[in-house]
Amino acid sequence: MKHDTVLYPRARIPYGTWGASYFPAWQTSALAEVNIGQFAAESMNRILGLRRVPTEALEYLVLGSTIPWHWKFWNAPLLAATFGRRIPGFHLEQACATGLQAVLAAAAQVDGHGGDVVGVLTFDRTSDSPVGVFPERRSYERTIPINDVWENFGFDPATGKAMIATAGAAARKHKLDRQEIDEIVFCRYEQYFAAKHSGFLDKVCVPLDLLNLQGKPLGRIDQDTGVRQITLESLRQMRELDTCVTGGGQTHASDGMATLLVTTAERAAELSPRPEIEIRLVARAEVRANPSLMPEAPSLAVMKLFERTGVSMKDIAVAKCHNPFAVNDAIFSKLLDHDWHDVNRTGCSLVWGHPQGPTLTRSLIEGLEEAVELGGGKVLLFGCAAGDVGVAAIFDVTDRGSR
Amino acid sequence: MVNKGTQTTSMRAHTLDTLGLGTPLAAFRAGRLPADAASLVDTIFGPANDRGSLVISGANGIVGAGKTMQFASRLQPFGVTVVGLDMANAPDGIGRKYPGLVASFGVEQAAKIMGSVVQMKYDGRTLPSALAGFKPRFLLEAIPEILALKRAHYALFRAAFPGIPIRSVTSGFPARELGVGVAHPAFPHEINKIFEIVEETPSASTQLLWALGLIPMEVSDDWSFILDVIFCGVTLAALRYHASSNMPYWKIDKFVRKYFGPNPLRAHDAIGAKGADFLTWSCLHHLAKEYGAVFEPTADLTERKDTGQNWYPPNHLRPLVDWALTPEADDELRTAIAGPVIQMTSLMLHERRSHLAQMNAIGELCAQFRRGVVAMIRSMGADRAIATVEAWHARHPEAATSAWYPDALDAVNEPEGQQLYVNAEHDGTVGVITLSRESYTSDVDEELNRAIGWLKAAGIDRVILSGDFHLSTQMVGADTTEFFPALDDASAGQALAERWSATARRLHTEFATSVGVITGKRCLGGMLELMAHCHVVVCTEGTQLGFPEVTLPVVPGMEACHWPFRKATKEGWTRLLGLLLSGHAVRADQAVGWLVDASGSIDEVLSTAWALAAGTSNIKRRSFEEGALKGLPGTAPDLPAVEGPALDAARKAIVDSVHASCGAPLAEAIHVQARHSGAFMTSSACRKGRVGSEFAKTMVV
Repeated sequence: MKHDTVLYPRARIPYGTWGASYFPAWQTSALAEVNIGQFAAESMNRILGLRRVPTEALEYLVLGSTIPWHWKFWNAPLLAATFGRRIPGFHLEQACATGLQAVLAAAAQVDGHGGDVVGVLTFDRTSDSPVGVFPERRSYERTIPINDVWENFGFDPATGKAMIATAGAAARKHKLDRQEIDEIVFCRYEQYFAAKHSGFLDKVCVPLDLLNLQGKPLGRIDQDTGVRQITLESLRQMRELDTCVTGGGQTHASDGMATLLVTTAERAAELSPRPEIEIRLVARAEVRANPSLMPEAPSLAVMKLFERTGVSMKDIAVAKCHNPFAVNDAIFSKLLDHDWHDVNRTGCSLVWGHPQGPTLTRSLIEGLEEAVELGGGKVLLFGCAAGDVGVAAIFDVTDRGSR
Repeated sequence: MVNKGTQTTSMRAHTLDTLGLGTPLAAFRAGRLPADAASLVDTIFGPANDRGSLVISGANGIVGAGKTMQFASRLQPFGVTVVGLDMANAPDGIGRKYPGLVASFGVEQAAKIMGSVVQMKYDGRTLPSALAGFKPRFLLEAIPEILALKRAHYALFRAAFPGIPIRSVTSGFPARELGVGVAHPAFPHEINKIFEIVEETPSASTQLLWALGLIPMEVSDDWSFILDVIFCGVTLAALRYHASSNMPYWKIDKFVRKYFGPNPLRAHDAIGAKGADFLTWSCLHHLAKEYGAVFEPTADLTERKDTGQNWYPPNHLRPLVDWALTPEADDELRTAIAGPVIQMTSLMLHERRSHLAQMNAIGELCAQFRRGVVAMIRSMGADRAIATVEAWHARHPEAATSAWYPDALDAVNEPEGQQLYVNAEHDGTVGVITLSRESYTSDVDEELNRAIGWLKAAGIDRVILSGDFHLSTQMVGADTTEFFPALDDASAGQALAERWSATARRLHTEFATSVGVITGKRCLGGMLELMAHCHVVVCTEGTQLGFPEVTLPVVPGMEACHWPFRKATKEGWTRLLGLLLSGHAVRADQAVGWLVDASGSIDEVLSTAWALAAGTSNIKRRSFEEGALKGLPGTAPDLPAVEGPALDAARKAIVDSVHASCGAPLAEAIHVQARHSGAFMTSSACRKGRVGSEFAKTMVV
């Protein structure tokens, strides 16, 4: 290693105090019916209760979400109030990188003594996208309605291109092979279902029961609804939407939330059911790829991170990424010279969907759980975000009980 | 125990006697009630030609306004003016009560009552000069719960009106701290009749409360008395559980209601969170200082005493995420609520804060416990109760260090603890069984059986059955929560009906003479069925009698479908059927001869009942047919139109039950009618009706 770096030295993530909802595909569950912010806050309260962390311990709340929700103006203070706590906090977003940025912001908050126990709450609802109406003097209508989810997917104002076009462009640039892409997709599904059947997902996702306005059951969120077993043959038969991009080789929009805590070493030991496990933040990096090459941006971010820290893939125990396109994984494998089978071993957003705000938070939780199962080690988390951005971070998991 | 004043023996002390009003048997023997309102009004407010006034200070507050209405409506007929005194800037709390007054009394009487209320404003330091003109003779203080403020207020009044009797409505401060007696009322203040009274000996003012139809209960001079230890205690338990589990307040409230009865946090919001949170915090804060950590207010309560935030979310933030509990978590929750409540009760038992029947009744009538705290501990048994507290202490060791008196729980095994709802008294010849609960439960049933057994063991075969003239002021029927297990199990409903009916039959079969005495506003349903089993029934003339089961709907299970028919003529059968099928009530004086045997004024009822029991009355018993009855009508005339299929189904089921049970000989009829009753409770009509809805609302959490 070039540098023995520690990012935010005061901050720790207490093991086992986290959780996520399952991520049902958009329009398939009761989550399409609710105020997602309120749902996320009440779910965070529920998850912390199940983890035996009293919300009284919270001193600050960092929200991460990308799609406007009702009463978003009141952001973190409102959501804290829904579970009875009057604590300060704020909201941030960076498209698909939100889930990681929220964790980093919380760590900065702890490091800067802005609160010893900071909650990270990330969420989004892609179902029934809100529509914003904006004044636009350059249009003859003078006002433009924007469907927040789909119209943003379909149009990057900086390049004039759609998200999916970046995957095709990147595939062409890196001369990817459709056959390999299908194999990656198939492998990712196999990994997901293996993790699910092993009970691994039970450590991460919490079944949640929703209520309607009358207080009667509205539905149970206990599956990544919409995710089905898939065959290699069926993938091969799929129509190509752009170079190496098929319906199977890209993620789908979904709804959900994920939460974790960032705190000090002392408080982490108090709050965690396994105080012998220490989780620290090591380093972070962000890059911006050339226009319309978003899928290569995560790899570039990891390379920048490795270059700065001296870490290499052989130092990494667990690699998890947000891969909206299988193309991302193929490029990573090429640029980092790393077998894509060894990434996302317990599932990934390509399979379980992409509610945006909480996606990388769930990936992180899965990565940390996997590292704990392995007895500790470094967790590499990376992903892309709108604007051809790539983010990456390294976390260090030490199981002092297993020394 | 031997009652010295009346030379009688009773299972346990009568609560009436704690007011200095003797025992029910003495009232029956004397042929009159032990006190009357008119003479007590004279005693306290002066004679009619020099009548003084009742002053209520803080009269526009929640308590003050409610009590102003309650007392004005009761004292107006005696010409007593109620002076409502409050700060100059106080909002008009009294005026807001007027619509409720109209609803209860009608426009004309409401105007008269309001006409007896005089509102005065002042600055808190100088009494209005015009006040003296109203000749204040009694002060009921209802100002904020700040000790120094209260003391200064008393000094102000004593300086202006030397010797004026004062009672504070404080929910927490002992009389020794205040320097005045306490009359702590229970919410909702305009209708709740209960007052916790702290005074050295029962006073004329306390007896006047009783004579006006209210329910004063003498309690010891200890912090927060009984009601607020229980109510604030269960609130605190709920908040502590929230702090340890994160379960939302609204959800904890539902579980507390399911398992115990009250929903304390909703109650705070309903009363007005700002005031109620402060009162609860104040009580707990002082209790914690006096007794330790078991009463220590939680951080959220301390915060909300200042902010006054509601506990339930606002309408636009109705909860989205439910909280299911595993069996282990469910057990933990029950322990978290029951543990501290039992510990707090142990303290009250240790300090002997009141007659146990009163301690228990306060929990039921004022804190909405389905089973009062003493009865709850009794049903668990002292050992299990202690184990529950110890399990709770494992999570809250700080609470174990003080105010925990496990030995005091043995009080539930004493006669007072065993007979919380039913007492019996005799003079060697005549026995009097009194009911201290307005609705019939399995606990009442068990205690009634013990009371009958106790009298039989003493060789008593003449008995009067009545309310206790104190804790139960009317008889409303069976407690319908007892029916919940029967909603999906017909055999449970049948067993309940058979068990309760068998108890009622003992009044008929095990005594040479049994006299049912019905007083108060109403006697309905199961309680009327119980009374009907007595050989003779006498009622105050205006009392409303009825079988509202059809409106719930359920089929009567304590033999209303055949027992009264066996004592009635054919004309009476039609009326009885009309009563059963309409659910309407009838005045007692219009039911003589076919449902009851005599009616009259309260004094006439008391003396008649005594004469009947003593064998000196010339009222003849109606004959009782033990064989099958024939020629019963198929319906009753002038029934109100059927509204919905549930009522239609209930009427058919009741007619079927009447025909089947009347058509059976007496020995079989108990089972026949119980079978019909049990079967109907599993019907969709019952499940969709009031009992089923109540079950869904409280038990399906």
